Amino acid sequence: MSIPAVGPVAFTPFVPGTLPVDSATAAGATQGSTGADFGQLLANGLQQLQGLHAQSDQLAVAAATGDLNAIHDYTITATEAAVATQLTAAVRNKALEAFQSIMQMPI
Amino acid sequence: MGAFDVLGIAGSSMALHQTWLDCLSNNIANINTARPTSGPAFQAQYAMAAAVPGGGVRLSGIAVGDPTGRVVYQPDSPLADAKGYVRMPDIDLGSQMSQLIMAQRGFQAQAAVVRDAQDVYASALSIGR
Repeated sequence: MSIPAVGPVAFTPFVPGTLPVDSATAAGATQGSTGADFGQLLANGLQQLQGLHAQSDQLAVAAATGDLNAIHDYTITATEAAVATQLTAAVRNKALEAFQSIMQMPI
Repeated sequence: MGAFDVLGIAGSSMALHQTWLDCLSNNIANINTARPTSGPAFQAQYAMAAAVPGGGVRLSGIAVGDPTGRVVYQPDSPLADAKGYVRMPDIDLGSQMSQLIMAQRGFQAQAAVVRDAQDVYASALSIGR
């Protein structure tokens, strides 16, 4: 019995990319960070989160008024918003933890 | 590819299965809908699925069944023609019920995927906690 080779599929699954390495860090240079990167990242994340919540709220209103076409539309959007909130909270907690570790460093 | 693609793909599949369920419900509801022989019979609806290249599934269209239907002798019916015949839809209830189970199982399987995806996200968030 021979097993045929698995053919290529049209759907391309998620392929994790390598994180971009900062050339300054890679070179070992100790340059002071501008601090805008993390702030920008957080601001973008919060904006996206707000959009998800607005979408979820809109569907919740649609459900209440009887305009909701599909139940899963709301539940999936609500799940997405909930997971995104948890992720944002996790990022914020980790950042705070890192900041506190630095502040408590004995000099 | 975003982080929440699983949910988007699952949503598209659940929407398709819901359409399929709607079609089946309509077919079963109209299984006894008689029409006069001068016109077409009630045509069964069939949801057609098509894969989305980026991931997910969509409704490519709704196919309709045979308009000829089955000509049945029902002289009591007010719709009967001079010879006493009416046109009934050509729908097999057994086939519709089997499809109903398939659509239900498909929807439930996709709901299970969403549930599991939620667990996966939760475990990813718990790293380093």
